[in-house]
Amino acid sequence: MKNRKKDTLISYAWSSPSLILIALMVVFPILYTAYISLTNMNVYHWFDFTVVGLENYIKALFVFDSGFLSALFATILWTVVNMILQLVIAFVLVSLLNIQKLKLRKLYKTFLMFPWAMPGYVSILLWKTGMFNTQFGLLNQWMEKLGQETVRWLSNDVSAFICCTVVNLWLALPFMIMIMDGAMQSIDRSYFESAILDGATWLDRTRYITIPAITPIISPAVIITVFTTFKQFDVVYLLTQQAGAKTGSGFHTILTYAYENAFITNNYGYSSAISIIIFILLLVFSAKYQMKEEGDR
Amino acid sequence: MKRLLSILLCACLLLSLAACGEQTLDPDEANKLVIWHDKEDAVIAALESYLATAVPDLEVVFEKKTSLTDSLKLVGNDPSAAPDMFIFAHDKIGVFAEMGILAPIESLLEEGALENYLPMTLEAATYKDTLYQLPLYFETLLFMYNHRYMQDEEVPTTTDELLAYMENNTGRGRYGFVEQHSTAYYSAAWIHGFGGSIIDDTGVPFPDAQAVKDALNYHSQFVALMPGETEYNTVNTLFLEGKADATIGGPWMVPSARAAEIDLGIAPMPTVDSTGKALAPYSGVQGIHVLNFAAEQKTEAVKKLLSVLTAPTIGIDLALASGCAPANSLCYDDERVANDELVQSMRTTAEIAVPMPNIPEMDVMWTVVGNLLTDVNLSGKDIDDSFDAALAQANQLIDAMK
Amino acid sequence: MTKKQIKERVGLTALNAFFIVLCFVTLIPILYAVSVSLSGQNSLLSSDFSFIPKDFTLDNYKEVIFGEDILTWFKNTIFLAVVTVSLSLLIAVPAAYCFSRRRFPGRKTILKCLVLLNSFPAILSMFAIYRLLRPMGLINHRVGLILVYTGTMAVFSLWNTKGYFDTIPTEIEEAAKIDGASDIQVVLKIVLPLAKPSIITTALQVLIYVWNEYIYATTFMTGESKYTLAAGLNSLQATEMTGSWPVFAAASITVSIPVLIIFFMCQKYMTSGLTAGGVKG
Repeated sequence: MKNRKKDTLISYAWSSPSLILIALMVVFPILYTAYISLTNMNVYHWFDFTVVGLENYIKALFVFDSGFLSALFATILWTVVNMILQLVIAFVLVSLLNIQKLKLRKLYKTFLMFPWAMPGYVSILLWKTGMFNTQFGLLNQWMEKLGQETVRWLSNDVSAFICCTVVNLWLALPFMIMIMDGAMQSIDRSYFESAILDGATWLDRTRYITIPAITPIISPAVIITVFTTFKQFDVVYLLTQQAGAKTGSGFHTILTYAYENAFITNNYGYSSAISIIIFILLLVFSAKYQMKEEGDR
Repeated sequence: MKRLLSILLCACLLLSLAACGEQTLDPDEANKLVIWHDKEDAVIAALESYLATAVPDLEVVFEKKTSLTDSLKLVGNDPSAAPDMFIFAHDKIGVFAEMGILAPIESLLEEGALENYLPMTLEAATYKDTLYQLPLYFETLLFMYNHRYMQDEEVPTTTDELLAYMENNTGRGRYGFVEQHSTAYYSAAWIHGFGGSIIDDTGVPFPDAQAVKDALNYHSQFVALMPGETEYNTVNTLFLEGKADATIGGPWMVPSARAAEIDLGIAPMPTVDSTGKALAPYSGVQGIHVLNFAAEQKTEAVKKLLSVLTAPTIGIDLALASGCAPANSLCYDDERVANDELVQSMRTTAEIAVPMPNIPEMDVMWTVVGNLLTDVNLSGKDIDDSFDAALAQANQLIDAMK
Repeated sequence: MTKKQIKERVGLTALNAFFIVLCFVTLIPILYAVSVSLSGQNSLLSSDFSFIPKDFTLDNYKEVIFGEDILTWFKNTIFLAVVTVSLSLLIAVPAAYCFSRRRFPGRKTILKCLVLLNSFPAILSMFAIYRLLRPMGLINHRVGLILVYTGTMAVFSLWNTKGYFDTIPTEIEEAAKIDGASDIQVVLKIVLPLAKPSIITTALQVLIYVWNEYIYATTFMTGESKYTLAAGLNSLQATEMTGSWPVFAAASITVSIPVLIIFFMCQKYMTSGLTAGGVKG
């Protein structure tokens, strides 16, 4: 009994630096936001704010209108589409890159990592002005050369969604490729060798060896990516919704929607309430998902 | 259990925040003034060299800050992290004054120091009857054209003439006229030309609804003849590459136009035929703001600095260095300033220009108007419906500020 | 040459061709930046763009390297990156090992909570973190940034390494323990070498985050001498009205190169020790 207590203590002692930092930099902001959401901290009470109770939450309910609902559906669709494409494309590419006789694989991998090495906002700016711009973008220059009509790529909901997805994939795939590659490298080659001797096809090997072997390794990164995709702001905002450079698309994720309908008010109490509501919404989603996953096991 | 612990930990931290005390001022620090800005290098260089001779005993440090307004919201009353002063356009004065970080300027100035300032600049710098900024220079949008394609006698004096010119000169990759048609800053000129406004002094959005709708309706004919892109780079490049004959742009476009060897002409804003009013753009007054604690703790240094900044010399320097239009009218007596076509046209436009509203409510209107314009111009939605939606959004957001 | 060999050769050529095309397509936006950075015209846009720059010039790179404070920013970034990456691994590995191997009350709950923490939209976190760092005097201080970066990435680091540790069979460790090795020895000598791929992916992810993060860096640090590369780069383009696009493009490329070199060098460590023989069977 005493031993177990000591064991627990040791475990916590070793984990404490990590857990304390998480408490400070991740948990504290959440608690602080929750606290601010109960106050009237806004332009008129910036430093002398007082607790006003649930007032902000009552006000916040007006933001969760039909516009918010459609943004929520768009966000779910966005997350699903992006995650499926990311996983499938990354898996195919990594499988190809791991073909034994491919000598230049290191070079290819390094090039494919390039989008990751650029600061995100630079990449988005390059895509927006260099590729999608209606007047000067490469895409429209090519369309003209092919004798086609030029296209306003970012101006309607569907094409803006597709363009944002392309850019998001371009930004996110390098990480996914690297994680999968790391996982793939850790599979013991001898499994494949004996499988080949047994006459297993590539499909069989993928299904019975590769996928079961990499799933536990990549799942933490994948789960975190699901959250980042869900909370994606930069790609959608900078490509289509940026103040002064709007393109006419109505595609909003919950965060860009909340930004335009709350965060710009300089009312921290109110914005915090909205953040907390979004947080709770996501919590419910992920809790449901987790329970389902546990049920599957 | 761990959750509980971390909650406790955070509670402790919160308490320690409250316990944090005031900092005392180091005597050496009293003559050091840190000024944040987000201006061009030429402007700052002119200020630095002027101040080095005008107030040699002050140590003035200019720090370029890219996220200036956001940072100020964070650190505004924290002497250890905030600057003493900052240079910014006047349109955030309301926000910062309400937050309580700006010091009123008038008591820091000598008597009569503002006598010769252009009234428009002082009006812009005043919020709730208090002056919060010492204006340095101002900017307005200007009607610019390329002499190579648009002859002086072709320059439209009315908007109908402009439309006719556009119809005759637009097509096959060329544009008669371009502007950032679906952004609030640029469209304000059209709304003002129809007698409307985005927000009034008391914070009521779109006080004259019909004027705004008329402006949108009339302006949409122009938008049809412009590219479907409203951001700065596209419009700028079209004009600089000689693909657009005329544009409405700010003085910041002039250096690049000269570098691109455009034979630049500047003309008065055209008049709206149906109202007889000229397109009246927003003006932005750039000036120096003093933070509360600096005004309290470094009063002498701040006074000295402000005093030398009211002299016409620095205005002339700025005008010559980067074509800024000085706020002090005495600067225009200088022959070199008087002969600068760009500065003079801004001075003329200043007569009709409307200072950007500086009330906090304006902050959300940029987005609201941007959405309205995008809906009408780019998504082709109905004007009345879009306007109603915008008005509702404006009211909701303004309501949410409080 | 047998038929099989020919078939293999054709397949390999096709595969190489596929990757060359893929790399080219992936790099188009970046080649765009490269071309802009090498051109003498001051525009990000042009109506007749080609990948071969007109008025070829290296002036923009010269200006980046000698004109701006880029060397100072580079030093700052290297310092932040090295410290943050080391610190992240230093705190993540022991925690991950505990969570992977030991069973203690609260373990499951904490693990679950850590995932859920990701659901918080961190847009407003800046304010809270400022309130946290200010009383400690860490605003405008590198240590503040290091703590913010390490803390922000800590959930990922812990999770990612823990996930990988879970897949390493425990038999080897048990054998070593019977031979008298301590926990620390087991981690250093057995677990870490086996977990190389995940250690490297974790380290790279933290590195990239530090390398490209500019919001905290510009808000919490004052004065260009304290900027990181990303923050400096952001201030270069922030003055959109007057900024020079070719210089900005050149700076963006310059900033990315060190990361690419690190990528390239890391690849040989990406293979887990598990396949290197010795522990097989």
